[in-house]
Amino acid sequence: MSPDQMTPLARLSAYAAGQPIDRLPCVPIVGNTAARVIGAKVGAFRGNGRLIAKAQVAAYRLFNYDTIRIFTDLYTQAEAMGATVHYPEDETAYLAAPALKDISALHRLRPADPLKDGHLPHHLDAMRRAVDAVGSEVAVTGAVTCPFTNASFLVGAENLARLMMKDKGAVHKLCEITLETSLAYAEAIIDAGCTPSLTDAMSSMSVISPRQFREFSYPYLKLLIGYLHSRGKSVTLHICGKTSGIWEDMVAAGADCLSLDNDASLGEAKHAVGDRVRLMGNVHPSAIMLQGTPAEVRQATLKCLGQGHDNPKGFIVASGCSLPTETPFANIHAMLDAVREAGWPPRRE
Amino acid sequence: MSNVNQRLFQDLSDAVVDMDEDKAVAKAHEVVDLGVDAYLAIEQGLSAGMERAGVLFDEEEYFIPELLMCSDAMYAGMDVLKPHLRLDGVAEKHKVVIGVVEGDTHDIGKNLVKIMLETSGFEVTDLGRDIPPARFVEKAKEIGAGLIALSTLMTTTMDGMAAVIRQLTEEGIRERFKVIVGGGPLSQGFADRIGADGYAVNAADAIRLARSLVGVDVRVETGAAA
Repeated sequence: MSPDQMTPLARLSAYAAGQPIDRLPCVPIVGNTAARVIGAKVGAFRGNGRLIAKAQVAAYRLFNYDTIRIFTDLYTQAEAMGATVHYPEDETAYLAAPALKDISALHRLRPADPLKDGHLPHHLDAMRRAVDAVGSEVAVTGAVTCPFTNASFLVGAENLARLMMKDKGAVHKLCEITLETSLAYAEAIIDAGCTPSLTDAMSSMSVISPRQFREFSYPYLKLLIGYLHSRGKSVTLHICGKTSGIWEDMVAAGADCLSLDNDASLGEAKHAVGDRVRLMGNVHPSAIMLQGTPAEVRQATLKCLGQGHDNPKGFIVASGCSLPTETPFANIHAMLDAVREAGWPPRRE
Repeated sequence: MSNVNQRLFQDLSDAVVDMDEDKAVAKAHEVVDLGVDAYLAIEQGLSAGMERAGVLFDEEEYFIPELLMCSDAMYAGMDVLKPHLRLDGVAEKHKVVIGVVEGDTHDIGKNLVKIMLETSGFEVTDLGRDIPPARFVEKAKEIGAGLIALSTLMTTTMDGMAAVIRQLTEEGIRERFKVIVGGGPLSQGFADRIGADGYAVNAADAIRLARSLVGVDVRVETGAAA
């Protein structure tokens, strides 16, 4: 496979300007797999911005994908607001307990200070270091968990689901506070020279209805995206699971690029909203990237490319969600190689 | 069956679908006061309502918040009726051990499957979340469960499912249990690879799978025994 002819930054800006490029941008969403690249344990990332940056930069240099995303788990903001996160020695961290046992303790909740609280300062440190190392050639993004999803980590997902039916005011109050955290963190990320990348797992139609999304998630998302635009940042929004019923709302909230999971159809999204937003997705992170062979990865990647390459507002070949930690390197290489092989404009098989 | 009973069962069913906990409790008390068979009231009222809610979920009319509220109404009515069940006439139920595997605390999916299994006449032992593989095996042996249901939403914890099956095999008791798996990152291919007996894509599918694996129509069997 011939090596890339352009740096990721040059490629993305040329692509956006409609100028010639060597291949489509490609982003296998590498999270804790980066630990494997430097032979570190996932648990060692805890509170260690230097190590996160080292791993993410090494992973970028190994695979040459088009965006670095500083991300270890979804819970950094919730943890900074009082949620308890469990850190296994060598696996992805998970939420052990929400910040509030009960919504009656809502008044005790405060927005996080990204420069002081939890592990947010370490993630910001990782972002600065990654920008220092490779920021001149590749975009470095920092994962921001969106207000509604954070709210679910603060009171617990089931609790939040019931509150949506029983005490709407409390849900809004909670989202107002989580919005403040998201805004403050986004500001700090931009100040660190990075671009926030939005993740809103719980806003999925696999969990809540489009109506509930519009009522409880959309207003805060829109304010968050509005702020990012005011800082001159283009916004990629990832919502997991099923999303077809809220694509219009994701666009209306201001997203510039929708990152789609496997439960969403790239072809349908292209027809529905592709004239207004860039799309990225959606090779299956576990069935294909983790468990498939390089040949299966190649096939799935080319299939996505076939569906998305002619999206009017552009397309990024990507995994549907963050890759599992143990995703084989050969499969990540296979994804990039398939995109290189297709070239631009893509050669048909 | 009398029209009064039918009306009561319909009201119980509606209370569940309408997420009306108070009405479910009030109607359950009416069942008790009138001496109506509590088992039938659960089966043809509350459980039937939960099944309707499940259909609405399949059709994307209801989502997880609605389903949880429906189940709250169902359990509230159940709490009133359970002390009035005549134990002698009820057939032994198929037992299931369910839980979220170690390393994962996402349990909404597991809870929905548990609710729907109970609704379908299974006796469910819920281990909770973040459960080590050995606990599933111990509990299934202890209570004589025929079915072990494993859930995870995380790619990082999928291996825990394989560990449960490995342990069953190592102990030479694999054939005594059916193992079913479900959750966001899984696939039929994964289930096949780890040697599970089945994979369900959602809660409704899990119930169909569980019913077919235990080899009987659970509702018909328990209904006939009532």
